[in-house]
Amino acid sequence: MEAFRGAGDLRAIGVILMKDLRQELRSRTVLTATVFFAAVTLVIMGFAVGGQPDVLRVVAPGVLWVALAFAGVITASQSWVNELEDGALEQLTMYPVPRATLYLGKVLANWIYLAALAILLVPVTVVLYDVQIGGRWPLLFLVLLLGTLAFSLVGTFYAALTVTLRARESLLPLLMFPIIIPALLAAVGASTELMYFADTVKAFDWLQLLVAFVLAYGVLCTAVFHFLVEE
Amino acid sequence: MNAPAVGLHDAVKSFGREAVLDGVNLNIAEGRFIVLRGGNGTGKTTLLRVLGTRLRLSSGTGSVFGFDLIRQPGEIRRRVIQVSVAGGSYPMLTAAENLGFAARLYGVTVDAGAVLERVGLAQVGGKLVRTFSSGMKKRLALARLLLPGARMWLLDEPYTTLDEDGRELVDALLNEARQRGLTVIMATHGDARPGAPQPDAVLQLDGGALSVLQRRES
Amino acid sequence: MASNSGKSTGTRPLWLTVLGFVTLAAFLVGAWYALVMAPTEVTQQELFRITYTHASVAAVALAATILTAVFGAMVLWRGKPIDDVRTVAAAEVTTVFLAVTVIGGMIYSKPTLGAYWAWDARITLSGIMLVLMVGYFVVRGMIGDPLRAARVSAVVALIVAAGAPLNRAATSMFRTVHPARSADMPAELQFVLIINMVAALLVFAWFFLERARLGAIEARLEAEREGLEAGSSSVKEVVNV
Repeated sequence: MEAFRGAGDLRAIGVILMKDLRQELRSRTVLTATVFFAAVTLVIMGFAVGGQPDVLRVVAPGVLWVALAFAGVITASQSWVNELEDGALEQLTMYPVPRATLYLGKVLANWIYLAALAILLVPVTVVLYDVQIGGRWPLLFLVLLLGTLAFSLVGTFYAALTVTLRARESLLPLLMFPIIIPALLAAVGASTELMYFADTVKAFDWLQLLVAFVLAYGVLCTAVFHFLVEE
Repeated sequence: MNAPAVGLHDAVKSFGREAVLDGVNLNIAEGRFIVLRGGNGTGKTTLLRVLGTRLRLSSGTGSVFGFDLIRQPGEIRRRVIQVSVAGGSYPMLTAAENLGFAARLYGVTVDAGAVLERVGLAQVGGKLVRTFSSGMKKRLALARLLLPGARMWLLDEPYTTLDEDGRELVDALLNEARQRGLTVIMATHGDARPGAPQPDAVLQLDGGALSVLQRRES
Repeated sequence: MASNSGKSTGTRPLWLTVLGFVTLAAFLVGAWYALVMAPTEVTQQELFRITYTHASVAAVALAATILTAVFGAMVLWRGKPIDDVRTVAAAEVTTVFLAVTVIGGMIYSKPTLGAYWAWDARITLSGIMLVLMVGYFVVRGMIGDPLRAARVSAVVALIVAAGAPLNRAATSMFRTVHPARSADMPAELQFVLIINMVAALLVFAWFFLERARLGAIEARLEAEREGLEAGSSSVKEVVNV
């Protein structure tokens, strides 16, 4: 007798990704939450460090990436909250596709949101924190892409776990932030080199670490994801 | 000889200390229509979710169509459709988009218009599910049963929230399933309906144990 | 798993007790060497003596995070109760060792570097790993079903272990004001360090084995208790339809 063919892995990832994007395009929940949150963070941190131009320039890369990290928590959490209504998550795990495809589809969606936010925030940071970037845009762009991917990989992974629990708002950052420290350090380090010291060699070292992080956690999280959604 | 549709051996599922399924031994032959009864919280939903590979047994073994629940869940999911109480649709997508999403993940092409027509949602195919009543959402969930390729249906309270027209739809679907030789396990509260096919057996879950209430005379 | 009858009756097997005494002896010898026998170090003098313990404990702690992950992998692969017992035991002793490392580092840091926390590579690494290991227990506590808690926390253990090399690289590129590595130490001081390393390893091993033994007994008692509660009507009807 018959059976469902099921979607191929890449196709399944694409289907999940398109669904998530479509939901976001209509509800714009992530867009509003992250843009305002990140912008407010940049402004508040400017005040908090005293507003001195030389201090601002030093802390700019750090503040930018902290804002992105918090946005990472929001996007990751929301991508699974979308599945809670009407028992959609239950249904999602019933399809004949590997659970990892559910994870990767959402990782891609969250990556798109974070990368778009990062690109949006750079000119804001340049203005508020008086930063010069000069001709090193391409490398900085690469750092933005890899850093946001790193946050998306870890955030989406842990959010699948915390979304079903009561204290989810506080728990996700608690679990996620320590894990992303190497990526955060690398992203800030590379951004700092590219923004100020023009030490592209050092920036490449940091970039290598970022790539290692993305590869290591990309593979690991994809491999063990299904344990998180089983009961 | 084919493997039974369902085989559970000493199945136990505990949540913390409480054993919701406590030593269930069950064999269901293929093509049977089984009704599952029991009060709230007696484990009907748990049993369905175990068979659908959504939950892992605490101990004991089980198989669906001969595929082991733990070792070959992917094969089981390719042959089983489950309709849960909540329905499982996305409010921010249209009915047609929801159906298309399910179809694509199952790897089948579907004429969304025809399917939605069948379940009585032809007029609202392009509307967001957010605007649907609970009865309409249930009809959309039932639409998934019309995707070609399933061998078993696991239905959790399919009649609830539906009007009489919707309930007749469920009866019709059950009759079709019977004709096509699908195995159907349905958990329900309500009385037996005249339009629905007569079940091969009515089982009851009580205190974690499964027993037969009624068997169809053959 | 060792087929030792001592484990099933609940009394500590002889070899474990002997190991305990050996460990105690090693610890005392190591302490003696560090506190008394080792010549006073030139620049930092008496305070340097903490290094022998601190460096040993730190090294063992870091390696132990990998060990915890190995047991976690067993939980995911095999799922036998003993695998989870071992993972928890390893996680607990690792966390204690990491905490001791961090506290020792802070004690050492204040007089030598001027602050309790100098944000240098190695102490930051231990601090991060400590927070990560705490995360293992947080996740465990969050999940009600013990089987699922075991599997999900095993996943966390793997994630944490993957962080060890990445954090090591990140923190060493970050800042380093840590004192000289053991390779720069004169031979006689290296000898003291080695003794303390062995002692640290033995202490870890003994506490891990004892904790795992107790955990196994606990698991067995729990299983028996559940068997008694459930099994009164042990004849279960077989339903064939």
